[in-house]
Amino acid sequence: MRRVLWIAAALGLGASSLHAQGVMVAPHAVYIDHRVRSGSVLLYNPGTEPVEVTISTLFGYPVTDSTGSIVLRTVDAPDSTLPSALAWIQAFPRRLTVAPLERQTVRLLARPPVGLPDGEYWVRLMIAAKAGQIPIVGVSDTTAIQVGVTLEVRTIIGITYRKGPVKTGMTLSNVRAQLLGDTLVTWSRLVRQGNAAFVGTVRGTVMDSTGATRASFATPLGVYFTMEPRIASVIGKLPKGRYWLRYEVVAEREDLDPSVILPAPAARDSVRLVVP
Amino acid sequence: MKSGLLAAALLLALPASAVAQGGSGTFTADAVVVTVGMTIATLQDLTFGTVPKGVATTVAPAAAGAGQWEITGNPNSFVTIAFTLPTQLTNIQALPGSTMPMSFGLTSALWRRANNNPAGATPFSPALGTVGRFGPPPNPTINIWIGGTVNPAPTAKPGIYQGTVILSLTYL
Repeated sequence: MRRVLWIAAALGLGASSLHAQGVMVAPHAVYIDHRVRSGSVLLYNPGTEPVEVTISTLFGYPVTDSTGSIVLRTVDAPDSTLPSALAWIQAFPRRLTVAPLERQTVRLLARPPVGLPDGEYWVRLMIAAKAGQIPIVGVSDTTAIQVGVTLEVRTIIGITYRKGPVKTGMTLSNVRAQLLGDTLVTWSRLVRQGNAAFVGTVRGTVMDSTGATRASFATPLGVYFTMEPRIASVIGKLPKGRYWLRYEVVAEREDLDPSVILPAPAARDSVRLVVP
Repeated sequence: MKSGLLAAALLLALPASAVAQGGSGTFTADAVVVTVGMTIATLQDLTFGTVPKGVATTVAPAAAGAGQWEITGNPNSFVTIAFTLPTQLTNIQALPGSTMPMSFGLTSALWRRANNNPAGATPFSPALGTVGRFGPPPNPTINIWIGGTVNPAPTAKPGIYQGTVILSLTYL
């Protein structure tokens, strides 16, 4: 028997304010296998006040806009052409209160339709957290107008359901790069292959004419259909000269359990960079 | 503006077992998966304090009264930053229908990677949202600030006006 256990290591709340409030959500991506049909998400309240949490689901996937920025495209009523699990994955409970320094588990239960074809299906889980109202004090003047705006937060993570054999791959094309001061900006066209999202990392390495590495960057990325991402990375100023950028997209992620990463061949290309 | 890190390292270890079965040569071990969650911490609410009637009052996103969040997550990952914004604040002490308009400009919000100083942060329109990115190790954070403008009418009723700004972050 193989039990899957996990340790959630959450790096902190950078907080010096008197009332830093929030809720930790872990993991930030959930993978559910058809044989198990269930999953869970942990909520932890590191603050000093209870946090009211509301859970809901939506369908959406990342795409890029005309500038290369990555945005979440949501579909209110996904039709049968989209791999949506919105209609049959549910979260319990849908409302809860997490006491200070306590944790609670949200269970995910899948009830896929009979005859669901093999493949990968997606849904997003929205965790809305609301802490106590901020008291507005000092209204001794009954003619005064006081204004206070409460802030709420919503964390949206991906849930992936896999049934049967799934595979993915990546086609890389149209790699471009530009140095703007100390920042390297890259563009590329990424087209997912197979029947599952490509979850991996874009890596860039800048090499000089001797082959020595002068700078590098790595960006986690999920390609659900097609993307043309613009990635800007501060690499420091390079001396005048000619360089090569080695650009590769690999099916590796440091933040996810390797067992959920689908293997795929790396896609690579290189472009020349000139610092005049 | 903010300083001091309250590094909360959370270790949630469920019972583990590693069972070696003597003589049979088989070995069963639990898998351990390490994962980093995402935490959105509200550091400060958007505060206007007492405002005069008939005069628009603006809190800049880099001002002391601006709302602020700090998000901790997966290093270098992208997240979409979106807001649900109020257009009216409601007087919670007066009869229903007593409201005050609220607006947000194209640069009413700021975001910055791995740095909690709004000076030097990137401005954006909270109505349009933007894409942010967590900082690299060892500081995988995003800080977000928001300001806004309230414009009480000269005839506005006294009292406490309240509204809610919702910040949505989506892991991509």
